[in-house]
Amino acid sequence: MEIVTANELISGATVYFLTEGCWGADIDRARVFQSEENAERDRVIKRANASGFLISVERETVRVAKGRVLANRLRERIRAEGPTAPRHRPQKPDIHNAVEFSHVSL
Amino acid sequence: MYRYDQFDAEFVAGRVAQFTDQVERRISGELSEDQFRPLRLMNGLYLQLHAYMLRVAVPYGTMNSTQLRKLAHIARTYDRGYGHFTTRQNIQFNWPRLDDVPQILSELASVEMHAIQTSGNCIRNVTTDQFAGAAADEIIDPRPVAEIIRQWSSLHPEFSFLPRKFKIAITGAPNDRAAIKFHDIGLMAQQDEQGKVGWAVYVGGGMGRTPMVAKEISPFVPHSDLLAYLESILRVYNRYGRRDNKYKARIKILVHEEGLATLREQVESEFLQVRGGVLNLPDDELSRIKAYFAPPAFKDSDARFDLAALKVSDPEFARFVLHNTNQHAQAGYTSITISLKPVGGVPGDATDAQMEVVADLAQRFSFDELRVSHEQNLVLPHVAIDDVRAVYEALNGAGLGEANVGQITDMIVCPGLDYCALANARSIPVAQEISRRFGSARRQEEIGDLKIKISGCINACGHHHAGHIGILGVEKRGTELYQITVGGNAGENAAIGNILGRGIVAEEVPDAIEQLVEIYLKARSGAEENFLGTLKRVGEAPFREALYGND
Repeated sequence: MEIVTANELISGATVYFLTEGCWGADIDRARVFQSEENAERDRVIKRANASGFLISVERETVRVAKGRVLANRLRERIRAEGPTAPRHRPQKPDIHNAVEFSHVSL
Repeated sequence: MYRYDQFDAEFVAGRVAQFTDQVERRISGELSEDQFRPLRLMNGLYLQLHAYMLRVAVPYGTMNSTQLRKLAHIARTYDRGYGHFTTRQNIQFNWPRLDDVPQILSELASVEMHAIQTSGNCIRNVTTDQFAGAAADEIIDPRPVAEIIRQWSSLHPEFSFLPRKFKIAITGAPNDRAAIKFHDIGLMAQQDEQGKVGWAVYVGGGMGRTPMVAKEISPFVPHSDLLAYLESILRVYNRYGRRDNKYKARIKILVHEEGLATLREQVESEFLQVRGGVLNLPDDELSRIKAYFAPPAFKDSDARFDLAALKVSDPEFARFVLHNTNQHAQAGYTSITISLKPVGGVPGDATDAQMEVVADLAQRFSFDELRVSHEQNLVLPHVAIDDVRAVYEALNGAGLGEANVGQITDMIVCPGLDYCALANARSIPVAQEISRRFGSARRQEEIGDLKIKISGCINACGHHHAGHIGILGVEKRGTELYQITVGGNAGENAAIGNILGRGIVAEEVPDAIEQLVEIYLKARSGAEENFLGTLKRVGEAPFREALYGND
């Protein structure tokens, strides 16, 4: 299972492609692609790269447990939750960009 | 310290305007990320795990209070109220927004600072001894030469696209506090038989996945020829350095593969062509630059510390004097190291409020001068001994009075996986646990000088190869593991540490360090024998056995 993640161009914040078809900061709302959905996943990545508002677009392997989306790699878990020592909140994405992001929705 | 002339000011202002335009074009979509990435990197702007990271140059680690206040302002206004001082004597901000960066650079330019050449395959910020111009053991103040190298290397048209990044360190003292032998080029001041000062040149040092101690390519290069000699080395590297493999592109690989003798021959051949030309450094130009670094107006004083009496009357202050001051060339003065390693804190971090306090102290007590050390501490280089107590009390009030410089809790630590896009494992929490474990003053006094250095990946930004005890974070099947090395040394007797055995999990690291320390304390011939001395005498076997038994 994989999710698609990126950084916002202007804020640099970590964002995920969400089940709603837009981008946001909450990994638990990330759209989880099964292996048979690879073509759809790749279309999301292609559109994200073309959007001009997202950079460093990557896919990450995850598992789902108790309604939560958990990245397999520690790196990605830290990316989702912020630095661990001392604890810092992740960077806040630009809300006003949500509209512009909508054009990369499926 | 050096002040910008008209050329410098126009050059930096022009660069800010240029990058402002580039950011606007990136945001408008006129520039793609592939087009923009090299442009932002040329201005010190990286993308890390959580946000952009801006690396600001502190030329040869020298600042004044106005500049530090500006850094505090940037931390407060555009970041999250703190900055991270690095082993390259620079400062990094971890949370800037792309659309704020032009304004940040403009504010930096207003105090003669910038982020140019803090990234990319160019000659990076020249680093030096944090006690330059102050240390009692100094042959010559290296800052004028460092400044000349800065001017020569800034946007050097021939060396802006080298095979790989290139780092130069310089020390004017025989006691190497700048880790010069772990740089692409290291310069150490020498005096010839006539008392004339020049530079021993070392080449091909570095850390990373292939650590190398630099080799002496020339025992003595006179001042007047230094730029020509550096240019010759860079030309040979630029021509023959490997561009086919990023991991083999540093000059250390060229030295290793071609051999020092071959490289020296090539450099000398180039030097014959270059010396005596436009790169010749006339005495009057050196004198002009030197004038910027003239010693401050010291007052005559015979004040000195009575450490024995202080140990009785005020042991805490005595401990600060013992560890956090360095002998000054001027009688009645000392240099104070401000530890950015509070017990359990984040090594190298300073809040905006702390930066303001340090700036005030520099202005009041250190002729407005400040330094950043490659060991991620700050320095007030010229403090009257009579003022040290006032400085100590002010530092304590700001949470900066830790008297641990050179001790086991004064660790070099990279940002690791908490921030860095390249890291494999976290460094900061491991350092915090070690710091808490050894935090008691009595324990640290018992152990004495011992340098631990931690890197979160093989790129070795935390200098683990040069730690008396080094810790390298790796990742194996999703688990952070830490390899322990012993025997590294960043000083004039530079050495690379050896790995003791398999990696261990983070929770086991403090116990492992404790075991190594216990072996050292039991095996040392006396308190005057440091960790490296004991290791050399008894070998690695007892240390390895302490961690791994007879595996």
